[in-house]
Formats: sequence, structure tokens, C-alpha cells
Amino acid sequence: MAVTLEQLFDRVQKPARYTGGELNSVVKDKSKVNVRFAFCFPDLYEVGMSHLGMKILYGLKNAVDDFWCERVFAPDTDMEALMREHNVPLFALESRDPLRDFDFVGFTLQYEMCYTTVLNMLDLANIPLLAADRGDDMPLVVAGGPCACNPEPLADFFDIFLLGEGEELNLELMELYREHKKNGYNKAAFLRAAAEIEGVYVPSLYEVTYHEDGRVNAITPRDGVRPTVRKRIVKDLDTMYYPDSFVVPFIDIVHDRAMTEIFRGCIRGCRFCQAGFIYRPVREKSIDTIDKQSRALCESSGYEEFSLTSLSTSDYTKLEDLLTRLLDWAEEKKTNITVPSLRVDGFSEELANRLNVLRRSGLTFAPEAGTQRLRDAINKNLTEEEILDTATRAFRGGWTSVKLYFMTGLPTETLDDIAGIAALGQKIVNCYYYNPDKPKGKSVNVSISASCFVPKPFTPFQWEPQDTMAQLEEKQRHLVASVTTKKISLSWHDAKTSYLEAVLARGDRRLGKALLEAFRRGFKLDAWAEHFDFDGWMDIFRSVGLDPDFYACRRRDYDEVFPWDHLDYGVSKQFLIEENRRAHESVTTPNCRQQCSHCGATCFKGGLCVERR
Amino acid sequence: MNDVKDFTTVRVTFSKQGRARYISHLDLNRTMIRALRRAELPIWYTEGFNKHPYVTFAAPLSLGFEGERETMDVRLNEQYDMDELVRRLDAVMPEGLQILSAAVAVKKAGDVDRAVYELTVGCAASDVDAFLAQPTVIVQKKTKKKTFKELDLAPFLSQANSTLREEAGQTVWQLTLPCNSTDSVNPSLVTEALCSFLKREELPCFVRRLAVLDKEGQPFA
Repeated sequence: MAVTLEQLFDRVQKPARYTGGELNSVVKDKSKVNVRFAFCFPDLYEVGMSHLGMKILYGLKNAVDDFWCERVFAPDTDMEALMREHNVPLFALESRDPLRDFDFVGFTLQYEMCYTTVLNMLDLANIPLLAADRGDDMPLVVAGGPCACNPEPLADFFDIFLLGEGEELNLELMELYREHKKNGYNKAAFLRAAAEIEGVYVPSLYEVTYHEDGRVNAITPRDGVRPTVRKRIVKDLDTMYYPDSFVVPFIDIVHDRAMTEIFRGCIRGCRFCQAGFIYRPVREKSIDTIDKQSRALCESSGYEEFSLTSLSTSDYTKLEDLLTRLLDWAEEKKTNITVPSLRVDGFSEELANRLNVLRRSGLTFAPEAGTQRLRDAINKNLTEEEILDTATRAFRGGWTSVKLYFMTGLPTETLDDIAGIAALGQKIVNCYYYNPDKPKGKSVNVSISASCFVPKPFTPFQWEPQDTMAQLEEKQRHLVASVTTKKISLSWHDAKTSYLEAVLARGDRRLGKALLEAFRRGFKLDAWAEHFDFDGWMDIFRSVGLDPDFYACRRRDYDEVFPWDHLDYGVSKQFLIEENRRAHESVTTPNCRQQCSHCGATCFKGGLCVERR
Repeated sequence: MNDVKDFTTVRVTFSKQGRARYISHLDLNRTMIRALRRAELPIWYTEGFNKHPYVTFAAPLSLGFEGERETMDVRLNEQYDMDELVRRLDAVMPEGLQILSAAVAVKKAGDVDRAVYELTVGCAASDVDAFLAQPTVIVQKKTKKKTFKELDLAPFLSQANSTLREEAGQTVWQLTLPCNSTDSVNPSLVTEALCSFLKREELPCFVRRLAVLDKEGQPFA
């Protein structure tokens, strides 16, 4: 007798991850739906349900009467084992139908370490992994998200990648599909037609040839498709779709609160930051819109907290006005506002107190580099003076701890820059003791967290080698040796994970066979330390005849053809080359509000690029 | 500050069925707080830095069990019509949770004494009869310190305390178990003991709590 899902739920941890039925989840009558979309997040429910993009696209698609979008997450190992034992295929939470019943199976690619989970989920759904093995009777397997800017390692597995922002693009693709379904669907014909939609990248319609040493020789379009695919943006965030309700989970998830996006893009252009380049141009939502959307979400969810999301909250032009407006009703309704990545300097004391900024997250800074020279090289405009001033102010207010985030392995970095991390920490410790009113008997704690730099496509550092693990370890040792006080606590990320991330981030199609082999060996959920098997990965690369150092640790020439060169994110390669040169000279570039640096994003004719003209 | 309580405790009776049985006790607490906020009821908030509504459950229900008449206590800071409260709160509940009634709380949480359960188990009624006829039923009960102690279930499992009927190849077994500060027996202890008595590897069982009673055998409401 076939096992019921309930019988599985009764035997697993946190069954509410799999039951569905959460408030505001959307259930439709299948018989009245023309296009079904399974929105898959390749990680556990707690992670996926925290993701804003999924909430937006879920609401957007379900707002169309004859479209039905459902949610799918990776099952945890206990659930997966039971599903495999009892031949229960991966199902969507709303209908509990297997993924093969859907028209689209769509993944969001938020980080490289999810790739094996994508393959594992397809396999759990009994969907052939390779796009070429899926015929007209199989769902179309599509993906979007930041990693779609270089999706080449996954090119063999996907029918379509969606570049850039999904609001308009997803609907256009589903509308085209609806038409094709009506007139007799044929996969090849549909893919060819879809490739005409701006932002749709059909990998099978591009052929990649390689030099003998493994570098890409050329990427050639087939069948008359456009030679480059440009990402999509939504020009006006005030008229853009935004959900007025979120699915409210039963279990505790990573970010369990309402979220209102306040702008897209970032004016800063920190040279290591992919998001700072691929989401250009900067477009703000008006205070009225943010206010209206935040209220609606809080009312429909009952959430006791909402956050304002963006890449750099402090850069919202009228932040104080916005917060004053929101606090007026939020305080009355006893709703907390969280403001991530807020720079406290220059922020009024009264507003800081009303927001409880420090109490919530403590005082945090992300200087990223230990010396002004290196901060200039990476274009991170945070000065030592600003950090020390803010820390002093916080210490006067009675705070005793500060958190600092750094990266190691940045281009042009020397051991002096590493020592500078410890020195900056020491200066903050000193600030504490200079304060005459410091609380008696209390010590200060400066915690320093160091991650490893990963070079990413579409950044000025896309040509740079990642430090070898030996170099990173040497730097970590130097950092430990440079810290001479117990008031500073150190922690750092695992260099091994960052290395694999670097391999996949700038990888090409040849890596598909490594991913396939990793899947065959049962690899999944690589972002979770308990699942990550570095030695296993190295063995896989050896077995498929690929050298991971070729991808992670090699310096590229400016004229090298990159695996993602046929994808266009607006920012020109020439601009990125110029930025790379400036980095090596430790010359900063003004932010988008100070002065246009002609990066190329004006081609989208939106946001700050047009406001300034 | 004066000493007079500035809130009224209201006891809300609700059912928890279907998918909602997979909501754990901690998660139910959060779910209810959000529902109270959606219903825009005059809820009383705790003082202090992290102000939050105050919700308690006198007899928490285990994950996976259904409950016919569960209760939760909430605090309101003004007089409020109970029918209106039931209507408003029920309208914002997720699937599987239904608000049945509400009244100003009279009994104290400590008055909870026992609960009536309906177990649907995948064995014959005669199996359960044989199980009940044992002089002792020793089980290992987990203590709060995560160690185990031996407990004899026999005193709680008299045949007089149980009714049995067979239905579609399963046995529907109604029994009353203590849930007070001195004694507390979770029905899963009983089904596990039954499973090992029958020397089965696993025994399908479904648990529904029908009522929570006080010392007089009256519904706790």
C-alpha cells in the first residue's frame, strides 16, 4: 500500500516544513488554471521562506487568475530518506502534486553552494537532470537569481535562465507559454520563441568552444538568436507589483518578519561586491509607497516586526523622513522596525533611540579591509575616523561591544593590511578606555569576523586570482599573531567553502560534469557545514579531469573571453577594466550620486541614471 | 504603579485539526500571537523592552495530536464582547485552527487534572484488552533533565477507564490520562508500550484529545 504523506510527516523533524496550509498560502482550482509554476528554493524551508524574491514572484504570478505558483523547498535528510524509501516524489506545498505535473519548475539561484541541491531536487522529482533528456512531456526547468549572471556550470541542466529582475519577465514567459500550450506545445519551438523575449537566455541555443588550455574561445549563437542577452529591470518601483500579504510560516524561520524593499541597486560600487554592479541602476521607492506597503503587510500577516531591505539602507535619500513616518504608526501598533546595514554616523540620536538600533543588533561596521590604502583599492568608503567617532559615541551611551566585518585575500592585499585589521580593532579598544564615563568593572569586546574574498563575475575583480588556501591560512595566522589583547575576539570563515564558491562563480559549462558527479555521490546542501565535503569535491574534480585552481586562482588577461561574456548586465567590460586598473592604483571612484562614472547602466534608462539628466 | 491588574484574562477554546496538528506548541504560541494582532483585538502587552502579547496554554498539546477543545489564555486591556472576539479571531485563523468560544477565565491553570484522549490504533480491540489486563506496564519516561525514569502505567490504564470499539480494521480507544502537576502521562507512552507489548516494529496510531478536565471532571474552560 502506498504510504500517505501524513505517515511521513509523523516521522520527521519539524513536519510543518512540508505540510503547507500556512496563512496566506494560495490554493487554486487546478481545473481553472492554465499554467502551473513550481517555485523551488534549493535549500531548507527555513532558509527559502526567508527570501524576499520568492515572496514577490509568488504573489505576482498568483495574482493572474489562470496562473498558479506553488512553493517547493529541499527536504531535510530525514524526510528525503523516507521519500526515497517510499518512492514519494518531490511535491509542491500547496497542491501536494509532484513536480512533474507542473508546466514550469523554476529555481532561484542565490548562491553557488546550492547547485548540488538543485540537481538533487530534480532527481527527487523524477525529472531527468539533463535538459537534452527532457521532452515535450516534461516541465520546463528554469532559473533566475544573482547566480544566473554566470549560469554556465548549470547550462546542461536548465532549459532557460532568466536574467535580472523577474517581475515582468516571469509573466511574459508564462504568457508566451500559455499561447503555445493552446496551439500545441512543442519544446524546441517554445524555447526558440522564448529566446526573443529580452532577458531570456536559452543555453542550448549558444555553442561554446574552448582553447586547448581550457579558456573559452568563442560563444556562438545558433538558429539566429541574439548574440548577447541583456538582463531586465523594472524601471519604476512605485508602480511595480509588490505583495500585500506574505505566507506566514508556522515554524521559526531565519528572517521571520515582514519586509519592504526600499530601493534596488547600490550607489557605492565597492569593487568586490557583485550585487553593487549587477543590480544597477539605483531606483528608489517613494515614502508613500513604502508606507502603504509596510502597513498592508503588517496587517495581513500580524507580524510584530518588519524590516526595510536594500543593499545599503543609509543611502536612501530621505531616510529620516521615511523612518519618522513609519515609526508614527509602528510604535502605536507595537511593531518593531529593523533597519539592516544602517550606518549610525550622521544619524540623529533621537531616531537612533526610537529605532533601538544599537540594542537590536549591537554596533556593527563592515570596513572590509584593515588599512585606508586597501579600503581605497576596493572602493569601500568608510574611514577610520568615522568608525572611531561612532564607536566613541556608542561607548558614551553605555555600549561595550562592537562587531567588525573584514575580508581577507582581497586583491593587492599585503600582510601589512592584515596587521591593520588588528590595529583598527586595537584603536576601538583604546576609544573605550579613553572614555572617562565608561561603566565601572565592565570590559570592552571587539569582535572581528574575517571572511575570504571570492572574485565574482561582473565586478572589477573578475580578472583577479583568489588567494590560494595556503596564502589565506598564512594571512589568518598573521591576523591571530597581530592581535595582542584579549579584548579582541577573532572568527573567520572556512577558506574551503570560499574556494569552491570561487570555482563555481566563474566556472564554465565543463563544470557541469563535476556537478553531475557530485550529485551521483550524494552531495547536497553544501552550504551547510555538516554536509560540506571538501576532500570529496577535490576527488570529483580529479575524476572528471578538471583543475579547480584554473577557475579560482588564475589571473585572467583583460582580453580573455569569459564564459558569461554573452550575458549583458549593463555595466560594460571596459568600465570594469578601468575600475580594475584604479584598484591597483588604490584610486577610488565617486559614488553614483556624486558623479556618473559611465558604467553603462544608463542603457536601462531608469532610476538615478535618468534622474540626473 | 498601582497594584490593580490592568488586564482581564480571557480563556479561548479552540480546535486544532488536520494539518494544524503539525504545529508544535512553541509555534502555536507565535501563530496565536500573530492572529490576535491580525484580529486587532485590544490585547494587553507586557511591559519592558520587548513588548509582546501574553498568551499561555494550560495544557500544551503534543506535536501530531489533534485537539477538539483546547484552551489558551490571553490578556485583554479592556472589556470586550466575547462573541465579537470569537468572530474576529476565528476569521483570521489559518487552516485547521478554529475558535469555538471565549469567556473570562475563572479556573486557574493549576486546576487542570486529566484529559480524555481518543487513540486510533492499528490493532484489534482484543489486543488492547490483553494489554490492559497486564498487572504492570513499565515504560521509560523522559524527565526534564533528559534522563529516563521508570514509570508503571498500569494504575492509569484500568479497563474501567477505557472504552474500545473496532472500526475499519482499527481500534478506537478512548481513555483518560492524568495531566497535572503530580502525574502526567502522554498518550504516546501508552501507544509505545502497546507497540512493544504486541512485539510490533511500529504501530500506526492517531491521537485526538477530546477534552481537558479539572478535578471534578468538569471541562476546563
